[in-house]
Amino acid sequence: MGRKINSEKLGSLYYGKRTKKRREWRGAADTWYDYTRWLKNWSVMAKFMAKPANLKGFFRYRWMGNYLAVPDFVDRHTEGLRGPQLRIAHQEFDFIVEHVCDTISDLFRADPKCGNDEEFSKKLVVFDENMMSQIMNGFPNLKMVCREIPIVYTPSTVAQDGVLHYIDVAEEFGLPSDVCPMPAAELGCAIDDDYPLVGVCAVNCNTTCDGSLMGNGVEARRFNIPSFQLAVPIRHMQQSVQEYGAEEVANCIRFIEEQTGETFDWDHYFKCMETFNEETKLFREWLDISKTNHPQVIGNNVALYRDAYYQVGGGRDPRFLENDQKITQLAYKGYEKKVPCVSEVRHRAVLWGVQAQYYTAFPIWLQNCWGILPLIDMLSLTSTELYSTTDKQQALYDMADLYMKMNMRNRSNGGYEVGVDDLWRFCEEFHADMVIMYEHIGCKAMAGYHGIFEEQAKERGLHLIWVTHGLMDPRKAGRKDMRDEVNRYMRTVLREEPLDESLEEFQDENNW
Amino acid sequence: MKDLKHLYDLEQLLQECNNDLVKEACEKGQIAVGDVCSMIPEVLLNLPGCFSVRLRAPRTGSIEIGTYYMTSLLCEYCRALVERAVEGGYNFLDCIIAPDACAAMNRCVENMELLKTCEKEKFFVTYSDVPMKSDETALKHYVRQMRLRVLEPLHDVYGIDVSDAALLEAVEQHNKVCRLIRELGEFRKEEYPRITGYEFYIFCLATYCCPKDMLLPILEETLEEVREREPDQEKTYRIRVLLAGSEIDDLDFIKLIEDNGALIVADRHCFGSFPGRDEIKICEGEDLLTQICRHYMVTGQCPRFMNTEKVEERKDYADRLAKEYHADGIIYEQMKFCDYWGYERMAASHIMHEEYGYPVLSIDRPYVVGSSGQLRTRVQAFVESVEIKKIQGGR
Repeated sequence: MGRKINSEKLGSLYYGKRTKKRREWRGAADTWYDYTRWLKNWSVMAKFMAKPANLKGFFRYRWMGNYLAVPDFVDRHTEGLRGPQLRIAHQEFDFIVEHVCDTISDLFRADPKCGNDEEFSKKLVVFDENMMSQIMNGFPNLKMVCREIPIVYTPSTVAQDGVLHYIDVAEEFGLPSDVCPMPAAELGCAIDDDYPLVGVCAVNCNTTCDGSLMGNGVEARRFNIPSFQLAVPIRHMQQSVQEYGAEEVANCIRFIEEQTGETFDWDHYFKCMETFNEETKLFREWLDISKTNHPQVIGNNVALYRDAYYQVGGGRDPRFLENDQKITQLAYKGYEKKVPCVSEVRHRAVLWGVQAQYYTAFPIWLQNCWGILPLIDMLSLTSTELYSTTDKQQALYDMADLYMKMNMRNRSNGGYEVGVDDLWRFCEEFHADMVIMYEHIGCKAMAGYHGIFEEQAKERGLHLIWVTHGLMDPRKAGRKDMRDEVNRYMRTVLREEPLDESLEEFQDENNW
Repeated sequence: MKDLKHLYDLEQLLQECNNDLVKEACEKGQIAVGDVCSMIPEVLLNLPGCFSVRLRAPRTGSIEIGTYYMTSLLCEYCRALVERAVEGGYNFLDCIIAPDACAAMNRCVENMELLKTCEKEKFFVTYSDVPMKSDETALKHYVRQMRLRVLEPLHDVYGIDVSDAALLEAVEQHNKVCRLIRELGEFRKEEYPRITGYEFYIFCLATYCCPKDMLLPILEETLEEVREREPDQEKTYRIRVLLAGSEIDDLDFIKLIEDNGALIVADRHCFGSFPGRDEIKICEGEDLLTQICRHYMVTGQCPRFMNTEKVEERKDYADRLAKEYHADGIIYEQMKFCDYWGYERMAASHIMHEEYGYPVLSIDRPYVVGSSGQLRTRVQAFVESVEIKKIQGGR
């Protein structure tokens, strides 16, 4: 028990129905650091609650209750971490807490049921959950809000049963239970009238999957504000589709201009893209470090944060860049000192498919329990291109490229070149001997490659471990089921012993 | 009513994808083009020298191989196609021209390609990006994609004539088929229809699965026969329904509905006559390919069209058909695991009932229905409920 990684029996933190019986002991320095960050998160949330509109919103909306589990959420994602990895994790997750508080504050400020700031609401453009936001880089006087992120997406990661009610509402309404739970929950929330009705107009996109696209169409009937459907090409790797993508982006810009009376500000756009490019350069450095024997920014420390700054941040919020610079410094510090992420690296893994929202801390379990390094995940492997900061025509193509290659969409659409072939390429680049293959029960796009993955992994001599889950619905395959699939493979196929046997079998179905 | 002369033969023909008419066309040296979705304009696959076959997997039993490759979570139709492809059932094809329309079908075709299920030397597969909106920007993109992914490969690999004259010839042939099918379908408007929904469906389905030039004489003869046909003197049905939904190529499904007293008077689904058998109207002065693509884009009723106007239009379209064909109710069906139709069916079952006032039966079903007792019960219950409503004056 103490300062060293894997010195604590982490399974003992899970104790029946209670979330945790106590906080983790990480040695004096790390425990003190972790404690101060815990206090900081509480202070951010306390400040949030001090605003009357937010207080109203807290009692009006069912989904707000999930945010009581935020401290536990951060604990889960820092479990077992020490030194630079612990600090990187806090740098990221604490900032996400702050950012989500800001977003919800904006929503409640504009919400007729809470702050009812009509003028502010007229400055809000509502975007889809999975959408890139770079178009808004050209509208400095407007604010973009991804409506579903603080309402459905984040709550489902904070509390595993966070959106089950909404899934049930949608199914009760007649939606088949075999569709992806994410758009199902989003739709359920609309049916339940649990969205703040804000914004001057909305932009929907043909994002990750057929279900997501269809959900938007039905939800739009509830929101009743002018909507633009941004239909960027599906076969995004083909050269012949790029022009259409750029034209659609131009149409979307025109729509926002018409609805808001604003004019697209190219100077501001390019300024934001400079920031975005700087963030991309730093991300590339993290990836390069992960390809070495001393990876630093891996697993949980990439996944959710990459979503946030690549998609939602989009270069508009300079705080992300400042944060990235701090993360990079910590990463280099760890790399130079050859700080390990686990006491013994058994396997280097690429995580492919869609992660379970209710178990985003799964990668950290992989490393703590079995010494499997989750080097990178599919959702984080989005574009690492640098985009134009001077050429307006090229910028339209760049934006289209980003929209086509938004998180998940760039792999779930576009054909087997990006869905299958790229996996093997990344395995080589990251010197991975293992693939953790998430099988999300409702995801048709990736499930369609099941047999191909199996056969091609065998040909390449890679260990492929299937981990089945229900994305936002743990009733279909819970956290324990996910762990059991890895445990079984590690025990029976690889005949290995866990690094921390207390993590092999524990109960957390009643935890947040 | 007296049996139609060609009905039995066509029923038998439709038991095979590689049926006698397809075989005959292949023997004559025509190019067999595998078609998997209405988003690729059918006329482009029926240029002189080639013909389209909409892929089906009739008499499907086990789909274990398809399930291994695509899991049990994907649409059974797509799994059945992969199964049939692995069995060698599509070896007669010279190419498959597919759109990226839905994820399941896209994966289905990709599996067929990666597993090298078709053995012909020059066999190829193309994937096109097809529009999800109906506007001029999308049209330009559509035209370009069709030129690059359909016409050029057919010309380059098999020397198919893709000139305007050839396109026009294909459109004329398509329109002939549409006129015949539409005219046959018109008889379903009668109170004592001279053709049942099942009979009509057999002829309509055949037009998607057989070389059209060989089918034309059969359709012409059948139309004459139906014109002269004496309808039954008593009503053979209890209610009239519009059948709307996803892919249906299962004869038993139609039979099951009609056997339980619901006459299908209008068919708005992927293998149906609405909108697939709408004539293409050509005018002078505009590029022919653009006009063809516009037709498919504007008339398309697939739920993957995401712009608000199209979303609303789909409900109006069903309403118009139901009124025109005097339907008492609407059956919305979907293939299980189809995301597009899962949402569309859910929304339509509420909207068509609450906003348009139709009784709606909403069902999801497997690819092969067989004699499903569960479905039979649901159709029976629906028929009874519509009858009761009629007795109660629509309340």
